[in-house]
Amino acid sequence: MGAAEESSALSRRSFAFAAGGAAVMLGLGTLKFVPTRPICRPPGGQDEDSFLGACLRCERCREICPQNVIVPAHLEQGILNVRTPTMNFKEGWCDFCEEANAGIPLCEGVCPTKALRLVPDFKPEEVVIGKAVINRNWCLGWLLKGCKKCFEVCPYEAIEMEQLEGLGNYNNSDYQRPHVIEDKCNGCGLCENRCPSMMNSSLTEGATDRAITVHAVTIQGD
Amino acid sequence: MKKLKANNLRAIVILGVVLVIAVGYFNLVGIGNLSDFGWGLISTICPLGFVETLLASKLLIPRAVISFFAVVAIVIVLGRVFCAWVCPVPLLQRWFPGSRKQQEKRIAEALPDAEALPAATEALPDAEALPAVDLLDEPSGDLPVQAALMPAETKLKLKSAAKPKLKGAAKPNNFKLDSRHVVLGGALLSTAIFGFPVFCLVCPVGLTFASVLFLMRLFAFGETTWTILVFPLVLVLELVFFRKWCKTICPLGALMSLISGLNKTFRPSIDNSRCIKTAQGVNCSACSAVCAENIDIRNPKTSQSSLNNCTKCRNCSDICPAHAISFPFLKGKQKTED
Ligand code: SF4
Ligand code: SF4
Ligand code: SF4
Ligand code: SF4
Ligand code: SF4
Repeated sequence: MGAAEESSALSRRSFAFAAGGAAVMLGLGTLKFVPTRPICRPPGGQDEDSFLGACLRCERCREICPQNVIVPAHLEQGILNVRTPTMNFKEGWCDFCEEANAGIPLCEGVCPTKALRLVPDFKPEEVVIGKAVINRNWCLGWLLKGCKKCFEVCPYEAIEMEQLEGLGNYNNSDYQRPHVIEDKCNGCGLCENRCPSMMNSSLTEGATDRAITVHAVTIQGD
Repeated sequence: MKKLKANNLRAIVILGVVLVIAVGYFNLVGIGNLSDFGWGLISTICPLGFVETLLASKLLIPRAVISFFAVVAIVIVLGRVFCAWVCPVPLLQRWFPGSRKQQEKRIAEALPDAEALPAATEALPDAEALPAVDLLDEPSGDLPVQAALMPAETKLKLKSAAKPKLKGAAKPNNFKLDSRHVVLGGALLSTAIFGFPVFCLVCPVGLTFASVLFLMRLFAFGETTWTILVFPLVLVLELVFFRKWCKTICPLGALMSLISGLNKTFRPSIDNSRCIKTAQGVNCSACSAVCAENIDIRNPKTSQSSLNNCTKCRNCSDICPAHAISFPFLKGKQKTED
């Protein structure tokens, strides 16, 4: 590599690096088309396309969350998602920072690029982090064991208990089973957080997760 | 062999940064990592991440813009200081087996013979007596990116100063297209097309901090994920396959070197009367041998790499047997440091 040859344009060697590097960058872009299951985002990150366009993976939202519900996504959740914030309702739930910050989400406030973006006077009921889904094979209520924890804790009254006809009286929870009212559930995760189906003694046989879990419903595009 | 004092100091600073960020991972303050680092609304943002998210989301967020200009201001005052004093990548590379030996060998070859040295340094004038000569008298080149970032008066000055260049004089070596700029272009193009910050996926700085994070979570919460193995592996592969990552690939370094064309302060300044090669013709080229950026600071005009790439690592001034190199605040006002 003579200095003279280097001084004007790119040398052959660095041309190889340049072309190779740029090609790899374009190739990496196509990873966007690898199909991935949608994952729950903190409040304001529900539009997946604009979220992924803006998130720097700076982790500030995760660090600041007072409920510790935000965790970094893993490789298993999609290459593009690694290190982006996702919700783990086993760790916590989202109260929209009601307790810590008078209902003003700290995660949305700290996000530098507004990957998390809420309208100024948003209502928590309208921010759909996800929807709770009950696994009827694992749910202790559905197994007629008298559990109605999710019904009791849900802050949005999104769970109703169904009275089983001809079985017991109305106040006997042994004969009730829960249903999620989809329109009311915003995916805050408190039910999943408190559901006893996977906890110590009450483990349902064969269960690999809690009986009620929140699943992402993502909006694509604007 | 001469000790590179700044080398160790830099390692301490870099490990300190990693430590602060790692502690931050586990409290509720939310200081973030190098992608966006700060407190509340005041933060610095990764300049490349900023441009990428701007292209991908097509949203101009005032706060991000302010953080970006804070970074631009830092680069204008301190140049590419990030690369020598904050970025963990060069430090990781230094830890690779063999790399230190290689560097030591290169430097040993570049230093003058043991017999020639004492005689040459004895003849040196007093350090204070002579003014320093700045390496780069010409202002920065007429790069579009730089021009866009510049205030109007600087642009005017540039215009008038740029003229003599056209008269066939030696072209000042302010900017040189190299492979990193092309990679930067590719990364931005891909980001604009596919709508997400593409380079962030493979950024070695990001991979380093992610590896630290997932390792900490493994120990703290027993959280297992393939990420713990895959990320460090990709990082090591990048750095092993591209031993010259910083000089040939890194688009972040490239972006900062575009901005650092505006840097006029703390530039390495060589005192020609002290330099034993320039003044006495002793066979020495230690300063260019030690420079990780391939800058020949004795001959900035013909140097392979432009002075914009200087990361203020201070290795050249540490290695110089004649103490001829310093980093004055501005040219002319030489201050003897250390
Ligand atoms: S709104 Fe508050 S509680 Fe909910 S995820 Fe954000 S920081 Fe956590
Ligand atoms: S604060 Fe915003 S940019 Fe940072 S990781 Fe969270 S969502 Fe992404
Ligand atoms: S996630 Fe559970 S607790 Fe929260 S609103 Fe839905 S049903 Fe209620
Ligand atoms: S808390 Fe869990 S187990 Fe109990 S009723 Fe609700 S879903 Fe079923
Ligand atoms: S060129 Fe890139 S990898 Fe190298 S020190 Fe600078 S930012 Fe880090």
